Amino acid sequence: MLRINGLGCGYYDRQVLWDINLEVPPKEIMGIIGPNGSGKTTLLRAVSRLLKPKQGSIHLDGKDIWQMKYRELAKRVAVVSQGLPEETLTVEEFVLLGRIPHFEGLQFLETNHDFEVAEGCMALTDVLRLKDRPIGQISGGERQLALIARALTQEPALLLLDEPTTYLDIAHQVGMLDLIKRLNRKLGLTVLMVLHDLNLASEYCDKVALLSNGKIYKQGRPEEVLNYKVIEDVYKTVVVVQKNPVSKKPYILLVSEEEKRKKK
Amino acid sequence: MKIGIIVFLFITHLLFAQEDVPQRIISLGPSITKALYLLGVQDKLIANTIYCIYPPEAKKKERVGTAQKLNLEKVYSLKPDLVLATSLVDQRSTEKLKNLGIRVVTFSTPRDFNDICKQFLELGRLVGKENEAKEIVERAENEAALIREKVKNLYKPKVLIQVGARPLVAATGNYFVNDYIEFAGGINIAKDAKESIYSRERVLKENPDVIIITTMGIAVGEERKIWQKYEILNAAKFNQIYIIDTDKITSPTPQSFVKTIEEFAHILHPEK
Amino acid sequence: MRKRIIYWVVWIFVLTGLLLATALFSLYIGSVGMSLNKILRVILEGKGTLEYSILFDIRLPRIILGFAIGGSLSLIGVILQGMFRNPLVEPYTLGISGGAAIGVCLNIVFRLNRALGILSLPVCGFLGALCVVVLVYSLSVKKGVLKIQGLLLTGVMISFISSSLIMLIMAVSRTEDLHGIVFWIMGSLEEPNNALILISLCASIAGLILSYLFCIDLNALALGEEEAMHLGINVERSKRLLFIIASVLTGFSVSVAGIIGFVGLVVPHFVRVVVGRDHRILLVSSFLGGAAFLILCDTLARTIIAPVELPVGVITGLMGGSAFVYVLTRKQMLLKAK
Repeated sequence: MLRINGLGCGYYDRQVLWDINLEVPPKEIMGIIGPNGSGKTTLLRAVSRLLKPKQGSIHLDGKDIWQMKYRELAKRVAVVSQGLPEETLTVEEFVLLGRIPHFEGLQFLETNHDFEVAEGCMALTDVLRLKDRPIGQISGGERQLALIARALTQEPALLLLDEPTTYLDIAHQVGMLDLIKRLNRKLGLTVLMVLHDLNLASEYCDKVALLSNGKIYKQGRPEEVLNYKVIEDVYKTVVVVQKNPVSKKPYILLVSEEEKRKKK
Repeated sequence: MKIGIIVFLFITHLLFAQEDVPQRIISLGPSITKALYLLGVQDKLIANTIYCIYPPEAKKKERVGTAQKLNLEKVYSLKPDLVLATSLVDQRSTEKLKNLGIRVVTFSTPRDFNDICKQFLELGRLVGKENEAKEIVERAENEAALIREKVKNLYKPKVLIQVGARPLVAATGNYFVNDYIEFAGGINIAKDAKESIYSRERVLKENPDVIIITTMGIAVGEERKIWQKYEILNAAKFNQIYIIDTDKITSPTPQSFVKTIEEFAHILHPEK
Repeated sequence: MRKRIIYWVVWIFVLTGLLLATALFSLYIGSVGMSLNKILRVILEGKGTLEYSILFDIRLPRIILGFAIGGSLSLIGVILQGMFRNPLVEPYTLGISGGAAIGVCLNIVFRLNRALGILSLPVCGFLGALCVVVLVYSLSVKKGVLKIQGLLLTGVMISFISSSLIMLIMAVSRTEDLHGIVFWIMGSLEEPNNALILISLCASIAGLILSYLFCIDLNALALGEEEAMHLGINVERSKRLLFIIASVLTGFSVSVAGIIGFVGLVVPHFVRVVVGRDHRILLVSSFLGGAAFLILCDTLARTIIAPVELPVGVITGLMGGSAFVYVLTRKQMLLKAK
């Protein structure tokens, strides 16, 4: 569904990504992981058409995203943003903004269908009960869910998320990623998300791509990518990798310096 | 038959002559108001501006605005057949009046005594007092010439007329105020200045013997004090800094012009 | 959500009603007092009389121009505040009024209006405005991207430079020219040329209609440029076109009526508090609100100390400013009370 070929891109004078080759088949959850500064966010920005590639290309369902109209892209790809929207907007008004790509021609009022879709998405993310509350008055976790709801109303085939679990506590992190997994299984939504937490990536992603210094160091299933040798090479830090007793997925354990010394 | 025609022609002449002479005049400037009183047509003056305070009877007339902005509705509702404006009046208002079918004549600021006289004659012609106007102008010209004769061979003191404070504005050569000085036998230090805004430094450099301040408002007292501080200034040294009422200077009629030159002559040549 | 549509329609009716009331009020009040009965009679049968002329040749053109300019200025305010996501931006922030002012000053100083007729004044103003628009735009476009922050800064700088240039021109000009310049800068709805009034009316309505093509874009832009792009908005194209609409309309308004402040800043804020931030209702509401506001201010300006007429900018400033402060302090007090 999403094919990235030989992508190289960056900002004005600085190139951040080199020769990225990545393929995300439909209905897959792909996680992008890597140390700070390795280019994860840059990759996501390139896929969402914010950055023009200096080399290579990005194709969505066979079509170059830079050949598409903005609107066409927005109907297929939705980005769950980080930013805080206007405080006085109600949740429903905010979520309805996601219908904009679907407005035909000179249409400027929402149709019944638009309202239905929005309601459905709010229900899916469990923010329907908050729909008349101003966005500034709901909790951080609920706001994040509203952001997802808005992305969903675009009825995309591909969902892009940039570190969606930052600032959330454990319960919310799990809740959010469970939701994404559910959406993936139920709606067949393809997901490409940047995660900094390796364990979350391991637990929830079908595949991961590990970036290092602007290049893909390794990509594949979490079991293939997340072993202690690879992590040490990329993150330059010693870890212990075990298996999660319940899901059998790789689980990365850190060891403090003190403990390491004790062991010696 | 012939008599009938003559009578007919006479009557129509009267009618037309009457039509030519405006019966309802509105003045939009103090100098115009003064001129109208001088020409004796004050009965036909139905309104003027709030600044028209000379002669005192003018204050009793209907007011239609300031010398710059007039109240269109009021002017229009008074149904004037002639509106006299200065160049200070907002051009858009006079245009609008013309669009509404009212006759408007604008007088630009006179550049010298000649202009003042020409405008006065023009005004006289407009209000049907051509002869009176001619008389007044002739008299003024003669009196002015007399004064000029008297002071011809006297020492010509250097003079500055300050017409504005903050910024300091001097009367330059293309402004009729300049003639007050020249006719009264003096030299205007600002005569050849290109802009009317003048620097105090330049004044000190030119070192006038007499300074005449005629700004509007309370700045006059302040200005005099400022000039008096400069000890090297001739005008300060010999206490020749005078304040003259703005109205005498900036709203001239041929008559008032002469009176003012007389006053100037006394100031500049006290020994006369 | 049907509720919202009803809410919107109600407010449009209310604002239109307010506009009509203000217009009628303005028609009714003036130096020449006329009772309501008289006015009705004059309108129906008094063609050719003095009163008819006063109503239709003196008061009505001002009301129409007030509608056009007040509507335009508020509309521009909404567009710019939406584009810049900054509530302090108003039509004159971009320096366009400065350009127009310089155009007019040069015209007056070089006596062009004597030579080419009084219509040359607004034309020069408009040309001056266009020069600034082109200048500001070209200085703010980098690699095909219109930098919003750059636009703002450049605009403010040009504003300052223009004021200084105008003061320079005023310093070296003759007294009579000075008056002309000062008048024009002070802003006035008095315009002798009816064709110009008609053009302003058409321009303002055209501006309103064109801006509606971008009401969704403006809603999306409120989330940020990148967000808007993610929603499928061609942000560069929208910014460009909105800028053109706003600048041209500003150029028109300033050339014809001079500088009338506060309308473009304050009216959008008030309207926003009442009808919300959705541009689909905000654009037309601000237009109507601004039109009513300016007509009201102009009426007060010409009647409060009759026969002297105050510059309309004084009234908009006083009324707009004080109302704004009042609402702000009440908001603070309400927040404290919570």
